[in-house]
Amino acid sequence: MSVNVELSSAFGVFTDDVLTTKVEGKTVREVLHGLTKQFPKLGRVLLNQEGNLMQTYDFFINGESVYPKSMTALLKDGDLLNILYLIHGG
Amino acid sequence: MLTEKDLQRYDRQIMLQGFGIDGQEKLKKAKVFLAGIGGLGSPIAYYMAAAGIGTLIIADHDVADLSNLNRQILHWEENIGKKKTDSAAFKLGKFNSGIKIETVSETIEASNVSRLIGDADIIVDAMDNLPTRYLLNQTACAKGIPFVHGAVYGFEGRAMTVLPGKSACLNCLYHGAEVPKSKFPIIGVTPGVIGCVQASEVIKYLLGLGDLLTDRLLNYDGLAMKFREFKINRDPDCQHCKGAALNRKKL
Repeated sequence: MSVNVELSSAFGVFTDDVLTTKVEGKTVREVLHGLTKQFPKLGRVLLNQEGNLMQTYDFFINGESVYPKSMTALLKDGDLLNILYLIHGG
Repeated sequence: MLTEKDLQRYDRQIMLQGFGIDGQEKLKKAKVFLAGIGGLGSPIAYYMAAAGIGTLIIADHDVADLSNLNRQILHWEENIGKKKTDSAAFKLGKFNSGIKIETVSETIEASNVSRLIGDADIIVDAMDNLPTRYLLNQTACAKGIPFVHGAVYGFEGRAMTVLPGKSACLNCLYHGAEVPKSKFPIIGVTPGVIGCVQASEVIKYLLGLGDLLTDRLLNYDGLAMKFREFKINRDPDCQHCKGAALNRKKL
């Protein structure tokens, strides 16, 4: 069972510019951990000590916001997970 | 009432379908509160002034710095060390003498935000930090005033329009999440793109034209050169917009 993951270009520096990939997993947490196995440098910026997505990032499933933003949110085969940095500049 | 000069100046936009003289009069009567006159605020203010929005309230507590000039295009070398509001008001006044520019040099805080916004028709977010954005969003929801959010980082930018009580607000989107305030990388073209999106939203709202960026977060990735959007669902228990109602004044 694999999920399509899309990263914004800012993450390219941690992924050798790979911005779309397929990752095995049934929850957001499993997919994020699979993703950081593929790209270990990404793990250091994306996940906190508990292995959860840092508050400075946001994710969307199939192009929609998810509430509550739970790491246990379920994903199906072929779902799209977008990960974005929570930008704040002006 | 539009003057003969107004009719000449705005002739090309008055030609637009759904705009007309009535539309130009609506813009002339409108009052916009612009929070921040930096990277995003510069193009927003410039295009709102160009469009003939009658009253612009520009709020910023900062002074211009040399390191601002790669993106904050309303400020010039001669303005370094001077208040950004004065720098912007001078140029906008020279650019369009037919509109009113009001300046606010106070820091936007919980204690003054409602008074500063007053009876503006729409609030535009051109801030550089999330806490003030939440404050503006909350005040917009409490007053029923639309809020046009924008944010940038590097080559990436986002925008969303909030109609209180009708669409998802900034707090529905981020739920109070914060990012440590820090010097962030930015190239001037990014706030140029997003600022123009925000100014378009203001003009469309005031005229009642087109589809607004409501319940949609527009994401611009300048490196991939892709725009995409995410559907933002309203949080029924949102602490900012639960029970809010849009208070649309007739222009």
